[in-house]
Amino acid sequence: MLLYRTKLDFCFFGLIFFQALALAQPSYEGPHPSLEIVEDPMRRRTEYLARVNEVIEWRAGIVKRGDAEKMDMASVSANLSLNQNIEACNARGLELMENPGSGPFWMLPTTCVAFTGRDKLSDEAQQAIRLAWKESYQFRGDTENHFAMYYTMLYLMSELYPNEPGSEWYNGKSSQENLEESRDYLIDWMNIATTIGQGEFNPTHYIGEYAIPMLYLQSWAKDPEMRLRGQMFLDFLYAGLAANTLNGVLRGPNARTDDLSVVERWNSLSSFFSWLNFGNCPPTRGFSWGNYYAIVASNYYLPEVIYRIAMDRDESFTQKDLKRSRHRWRYSDVGKAPIYKTTYMSNDYAVGSYQGGMADPIQSHVWDITWATPDPRGRHPTIFSIHPFSSQKAMQAYFNVRPDTMVKAVAAEGKPSYDVADKLVGCSPYEEVFQHEDTIIALYDIPPGTRFEQVNGFFSKDLENLTEDESGWIFARGGNAYLAYLPMTDYRWKPHMAYKRLPSTGDGYRYERVESGSQVIISPGNKNGTIVQAASISEFDSFETFKSAIRNQSLTFELEPKPKVSLSSFRGDELEFRYGSAPKVNGQAIDYDRWKLFEGPYLNAEKGSRKLEITHGRIKRTLDFNTVKISNSIAPIY
Amino acid sequence: MEDSLYAGRSMAKILLQATTMPLQKFLLVTILALFLPLATIGQSPKHDLYVCAAVNRNYVIGSKITTTSGLHMREANGQWVHVGINDPSVFAVSFDPRDHDTFYTAAMNGALRTTNGGKSWRVMTGWDITEPKDICVDPHNPDRVYLAHPGGIAVSDDRGMNWTRRERGLPDRGKYTQSVEVDRFRNGHILAGCESGVYLSRNDARSWRRTLATEETVNDVQQSPNDPDTWAAVTQSAGAFISRNGGRSWSAFDQVPSEAALYNIAFDPTDPDRLAIGSYTYGVLVTEDGGATWSSRNEGLPEPHRIWRVGIDPDSGSLLASLYQKGLYESLDFGKTWKQAGLEGSAINSFVFLPKTRNYPGVAEIGFGIGSRK
Repeated sequence: MLLYRTKLDFCFFGLIFFQALALAQPSYEGPHPSLEIVEDPMRRRTEYLARVNEVIEWRAGIVKRGDAEKMDMASVSANLSLNQNIEACNARGLELMENPGSGPFWMLPTTCVAFTGRDKLSDEAQQAIRLAWKESYQFRGDTENHFAMYYTMLYLMSELYPNEPGSEWYNGKSSQENLEESRDYLIDWMNIATTIGQGEFNPTHYIGEYAIPMLYLQSWAKDPEMRLRGQMFLDFLYAGLAANTLNGVLRGPNARTDDLSVVERWNSLSSFFSWLNFGNCPPTRGFSWGNYYAIVASNYYLPEVIYRIAMDRDESFTQKDLKRSRHRWRYSDVGKAPIYKTTYMSNDYAVGSYQGGMADPIQSHVWDITWATPDPRGRHPTIFSIHPFSSQKAMQAYFNVRPDTMVKAVAAEGKPSYDVADKLVGCSPYEEVFQHEDTIIALYDIPPGTRFEQVNGFFSKDLENLTEDESGWIFARGGNAYLAYLPMTDYRWKPHMAYKRLPSTGDGYRYERVESGSQVIISPGNKNGTIVQAASISEFDSFETFKSAIRNQSLTFELEPKPKVSLSSFRGDELEFRYGSAPKVNGQAIDYDRWKLFEGPYLNAEKGSRKLEITHGRIKRTLDFNTVKISNSIAPIY
Repeated sequence: MEDSLYAGRSMAKILLQATTMPLQKFLLVTILALFLPLATIGQSPKHDLYVCAAVNRNYVIGSKITTTSGLHMREANGQWVHVGINDPSVFAVSFDPRDHDTFYTAAMNGALRTTNGGKSWRVMTGWDITEPKDICVDPHNPDRVYLAHPGGIAVSDDRGMNWTRRERGLPDRGKYTQSVEVDRFRNGHILAGCESGVYLSRNDARSWRRTLATEETVNDVQQSPNDPDTWAAVTQSAGAFISRNGGRSWSAFDQVPSEAALYNIAFDPTDPDRLAIGSYTYGVLVTEDGGATWSSRNEGLPEPHRIWRVGIDPDSGSLLASLYQKGLYESLDFGKTWKQAGLEGSAINSFVFLPKTRNYPGVAEIGFGIGSRK
C-alpha cells in the first residue's frame, strides 16, 4: 500500500509542479474553490499534493519575490525540501543560530530545519543547530499548545541526537531522559484528550500548534508507535475539523479565538487546514504557520471518511462532544471542568455552543449562529451575544500570577479587548447556554458590582432585511438562513469597532479601533438573556412567513428571581430553561452526566474510552488509543 | 557585626523611648541615622545578596546594556552580576548550606539545580510539575528540598533527582502553594502558604494541617530570624498575620489593610520589632513596634508605588524595595528616604541573603542565614 502511494505521488508530482507554476496568484487571492465532492481518490490526492506544493514553492521563493529581506526558517525549510539553494540555506541557517530564540515557537521551526536539512545542510550548519539546542535555554511555557509543541520537538531532537549526556542539552538532561519525559507527556496528553476531551477544543488558530507537531511526529519519529500516534491524533483533529466546518469555515464554539476571527469566521489558521485537506475554502493570507506544516504534509493521507464528513452537508446533523476547560489551578472546585459542546450543521447555516461558564479565561467563544457565504473573505457571517467578563481573580484561577498585573499585561500581549466593555471574545461565569438543534437560549445573571454589567450582541454588516419587530424580535437574513434574535431587555445600537494592528513601538502590541460596518447591541440588564433561532430560507415561503412562525410561537420569559424561558418552538419542541437549572426538552431534563465524548452521525466515542469511531455512510475508521491501532471497514450493502 | 548592630539598635530604641522631648528625639534620630550606617563601615558584610529578577526593560550592568533576567548577585561595589540562565521566570532560589555552589531555583520549567555555582544547570522536575513559585532546602537535611507549585507540594530527598508529592492533609482543591518555608530551628517543621490558608507539617511534610484559613492565596510565609516561634504571613485578600507559637495559631495585624493583595513580608534580623510588607497597591508598609502600628514608607519612591517585593539586609538593616518594572530601591533609614540600587526595569521576585561562610551544621545557633528568603 505504501509503495502504491509512493508511486502514485511520484507519477503526479510533475503535474503538480507545473500546476503550481501555472498559478497566476496564490490560492488565498484566487477564486473560491469548488465545493464539489471529488469522488476519485487519485484526483483528490493529486489536488492535495498540488496545494501542498503551492505552499512550499510560495515560501521557498519569499526572498526572490521580494516579500522578505532574508529567508526565515520556513523559507529555509521549504528550499531544503525542494533541494534548492542549499548554500543559501547553509548560510542563513548559521545566521539564524547565532541568536537562538527560546520556547516552543522557536523549537518548532528549528526542528523543521534540522530534520529537513539533516542530509542536505553542511556539517557546520547542522552543528550550529545542535549547539543552539545545547546552549539556548528553552522555556516550556504554560499552555496546552506550548507543551504539545515543546515535548514533540524535544522528543524528535532527542531521537535525532541520541545517546548524548545532559551536558549536551540546554536542560541538563540526557537524550534518553528527554526522550522518555517527552514521550510520557505526549501519551498522557493524548490519553486525556481521548478520555475527557480536548482542552483547546475547536480552536480557530491553535489547531496549527497541534497539527504541526503531530505531523512531525508521524513523519520523523523513529519509534513506530509514536509515528502512528502522530497520525492517529492528526485524524482525531481533522475529524473534529470536518464535523465543525461549513464550506471549510470553522464554526463556534471555540476554546480560543480572537477579535478578528470571532466575526470574520474564515480568517483563521483553521481555514488553511480546511483548504489543504478538503480543498473547500480559500487559505488565509500567506498560509501563516501552515508553511511549516506543508514541508512534510505529503506524508499525511487524509482518510476518505474524514474528507466526506467535511464535504457532505446534504443532511442536517447534530454532533455533541465532550471537551474540557483549561486547567484551573485554584479558586475552583474542579481542575478540568467539563465542556458540553453541541453543533447543529445544515447546508445553509451552523449553530454551535457549549453550556456557558469558563472554558479559557481570555479567548473563549461560547456560541454563535453562522451562515454559509459564497466567499467568506471579509464577511462577518455570525450572530451571537456575550457577557463581557473581565476579572483578575479569574485570571489567577488559570495562570500562576499575582493579581494586579495580568489584566493589563493581557492587553499588551495581543488580546486587546480583554478588559473592554464592548468586547466580543470571552466567556463568563454568569452566562448559561442551552442549545436544541438550531435554537439557542443564553441566560445571564450578572451580580451587581461585576466589572461590566451588560450583554453585547453582534449584528453583522452582511445581514439583510434587518428588522426590529414590534414583538421584540429582531429579524434578519444571513445568506440562505433566516434569523430571529430576541434580546430580553432594552438595548442600544453602537458601531462595531474592530481592532486594527499598528506597528509596534517596542512596548507590546498596539491597536487602533476602526468601524467594521457591523453593529453591536448593548443590553445593560444584569438579569438578561438572548434567544436566537434559525431556519433555511427553503423551509418557508417567504421572510414574512418565517417572521409569523416566530411571532406565533408560545414564548414566556421572566428575569426575576432568575432568568427563565419557556418556548414552544415553531419546530414543535417544548423548551424550558431556567438559569441555574438543567434545561428541558419536551419535559425531559438534559442529563449532562451522560454526555459522551462524541455522539452524532459521524463521530462517536464513550467518555473514558480512548476510542473514536469516525463514520460516514458505509465507511468507518476507528482510532483506538488503547491499543494504538487504526482499523478501517466498509459496511456491506444489504 | 550583626550582634553589635542589633545591640546598637536596641540601645537606640531604649533611648528613644526614654526621650520625650521632641528636640532631643530629633537630635537622637539624626545621630542614630548617621551612626548606624557608619557602624558598618570598615566591616565587610557577612552575607551576599542574591535576587531573582525579571528584567523587562533595558538593564545596565557596568557599561554593557543587556536585558538579562534571572539570578543576580550584588558585588561589593554595588554592581550586579548575572548568575546562570537568562530566565525571567525564576521566582525563588535556595542554597545548599554545605556547598554554596549548589543551589536550586523555582522557575517556569520547574525546579532547576546547579552544582557549580550556576555554570551549568539541570531541570530536576519532569513534565508533571510546572511553574513552581518557591523552593527551600532543608537546613537540617540539605539533601531534602521542598517545592511549592500550583499543584501542591513536592519533596525530594535526593537533592532534586526524584520528587514525590507530599500533600496528605491538604485539600484536593485549594492546595495551590505559593510559599514553603522550613523551620530553621525545629527539624521536620515546615509551613506552607496555600490557596486556602497556612498549613503546618511537623513530620517532614508527610502530613499537613491547616492553622490559618483564608479565602484566597497566602502569598508569603516567613519565620523570624530573631525568635524561632515567631512567623508571619501575608495574603491576597485577608491582610497579614503573626504567629507566636511556631505557626500553630495566628492573629491578624489589625492595622494592615486587607482590601488588596500583600505580596511578601520581611523580618529585620537586626531588630525584632521591625517588619516590612510589600504590596502592589499599598507600597511599602512597615512596623517598628512588633506589629502594633504600621505606616506607609513610600515617600521618595517613584510613583506609583507598585511594590513587587521587600527585603531587609541582615548586615546593615537597610530596607530593599523592588518597584514593579522600575528597579530596586534601598533605604538606610527603614523607608524614610530611598535611593536607587540598580536593576533598572526589573521586578524582583525574591531577595536572598546568603552567609559568606558555609554554616552547616550549626543552623539554629546562627539564627539567620541558609539562603533564607526575605
